[in-house]
Amino acid sequence: MEFKLEAHRIVSISLGKIYNSRVQRGGIKLHKNLLVSLVLRSARQVYLSDPCPGLYLAGPSGIPAAALPPPPQPGEPAAGEEEEEEEEEEEEMETGNVANLISIFGSSFSGLLRKSPGGGREEAEGEESGAEAAEPGQICCDKPVLRDINPWSTAIVAF
Amino acid sequence: MGEDTDTRKINHSFLRDHSYVTEADIISTVEFNHTGELLATGDKGGRVVIFQREPESKNAPHSQGEYDVYSTFQSHEPEFDYLKSLEIEEKINKIKWLPQQNAAHSLLSTNDKTIKLWKITERDKRPEGYNLKDEEGKLKDLSTVTSLQVPVLKPMDLMVEVSPRRVFANGHTYHINSISVNSDCETYMSADDLRINLWHLAITDRSFNIVDIKPANMEDLTEVITASEFHPHHCNLFVYSSSKGSLRLCDMRAAALCDKHSKLFEEPEDPSNRSFFSEIISSVSDVKFSRSGRYMLTRDYLTVKVWDLNMEARPVETYQVGAAASKSRSPSERVTRFFPAPPPSASVIMTGAYNNFFRMFDRNTKRDVTLEASRESSKPRAVLKPRRVCVGGKRRRDDISVDSLDFTKKILHTAWHPAENIIAIAATNNLYIFQDKVNSEMH
Repeated sequence: MEFKLEAHRIVSISLGKIYNSRVQRGGIKLHKNLLVSLVLRSARQVYLSDPCPGLYLAGPSGIPAAALPPPPQPGEPAAGEEEEEEEEEEEEMETGNVANLISIFGSSFSGLLRKSPGGGREEAEGEESGAEAAEPGQICCDKPVLRDINPWSTAIVAF
Repeated sequence: MGEDTDTRKINHSFLRDHSYVTEADIISTVEFNHTGELLATGDKGGRVVIFQREPESKNAPHSQGEYDVYSTFQSHEPEFDYLKSLEIEEKINKIKWLPQQNAAHSLLSTNDKTIKLWKITERDKRPEGYNLKDEEGKLKDLSTVTSLQVPVLKPMDLMVEVSPRRVFANGHTYHINSISVNSDCETYMSADDLRINLWHLAITDRSFNIVDIKPANMEDLTEVITASEFHPHHCNLFVYSSSKGSLRLCDMRAAALCDKHSKLFEEPEDPSNRSFFSEIISSVSDVKFSRSGRYMLTRDYLTVKVWDLNMEARPVETYQVGAAASKSRSPSERVTRFFPAPPPSASVIMTGAYNNFFRMFDRNTKRDVTLEASRESSKPRAVLKPRRVCVGGKRRRDDISVDSLDFTKKILHTAWHPAENIIAIAATNNLYIFQDKVNSEMH
């Protein structure tokens, strides 16, 4: 449970940093944003793979669908159930400000947030929690690693 | 967030005794010239300050070759890119001295987009006795001129003149992070996040791209260039480091575009050390060749590593810079770029850390020491006392607990005199210069 909270916190802070970097002097720093995106991806995977029941975090109702990553194609009847579950989890993750940040954030570095970089259709996020060895972030979901999250999570704050 | 917090802290720190820090005064780079006589610093406000070492004099035995301000000039101004609606910061990212070829000194200074070649000359004589002009320079009334005289050079107070000789602009789309002068003294390279360009020092309207790691689709970006340097002796070799922790040695004789490396230096990741932030802490912030050219020094978030050019599999030496147990520590800066300094004797390595601490590692004895650069902890000419960072339980009197480390005070830039044991440490807006009086300072 605490992992979900921490991961959510890290995600919202990361998005905030990416947004802030767009308005700061000197333009977007590619290196910094790349690293923040990597953290964002890992945090998102930790959040979604946490087996605890989702924590409902209050947010404005009727969050526009555009704020969420596009759902899988309709031609995937098998993923129907997962789809619902996944959307629910995403809603939980989207508090008011996080939703705004995602819509502002747009598609920058979406390749890192997509399951398969370099093309390929968007796949349901729920499927990511399967054993996908190709995705390095999966290793972060091991218990021993997650125990270290708390001390490290403060790393992102003053980045 | 972090950077903004730092800015706010800095701008609002109204302290007594002139400790008020403006953001423009933050030192962003430090570099000794090839003889060590001159030390150049660049700051966030686009200024370059050059210090000169005073010759040792018998009259004042205590001022053994101390550094005084020699010249100050505004190198870069803030600019605005109208096409992209972006402001270009004037912060000096790097300064590199050119080898001295005549009485004048030359250096390259760069901000995010533009590199400039500056020539520094001294003037200590002035011609007097012109025939056509009077003392103020006004033309004389010719009817008053009755005889001819030969103008003579009279001594005057030393005047240091700095003039921009070349401006190398529009070469980079991304932010320039390093420049390096080639050993051929004719060319130099500049590296930004995704590309490295080769320039000729005399030609400003043309540069050659030698490395390009930009993916066809920017969304596939996984790695950026963090630093690059030419080999000190072989003019065809250079190395560049990446955010993934790898070093690539490239040979310009192999191809015009050196996308394919000649050697790849990468330490395989220990799966048991895998953590949430693995990718970030492995990013190499700087790479430097040793003076012999046989070794390379790299700095990542937690360690300083020494690599042998003949061994690509792993570094030959690794030194831990952070507090011993990284678990109990809360690092607050992840893309802090610590720049290690290679020393002349190649037996001691120095790098900066948090809390205005800097660390020195003796490669022979394997001992290390942590020292602090701050006004409070050291008086001028006093011997530095080693500091200890304690983790957990037992704490001795003067120890600093790891939790009370100030992560906003970081030493990012250090430089080592090329011939002597003199080091320059930049801590925010202060420059500290330490000299080794007694050889056994390392303990």
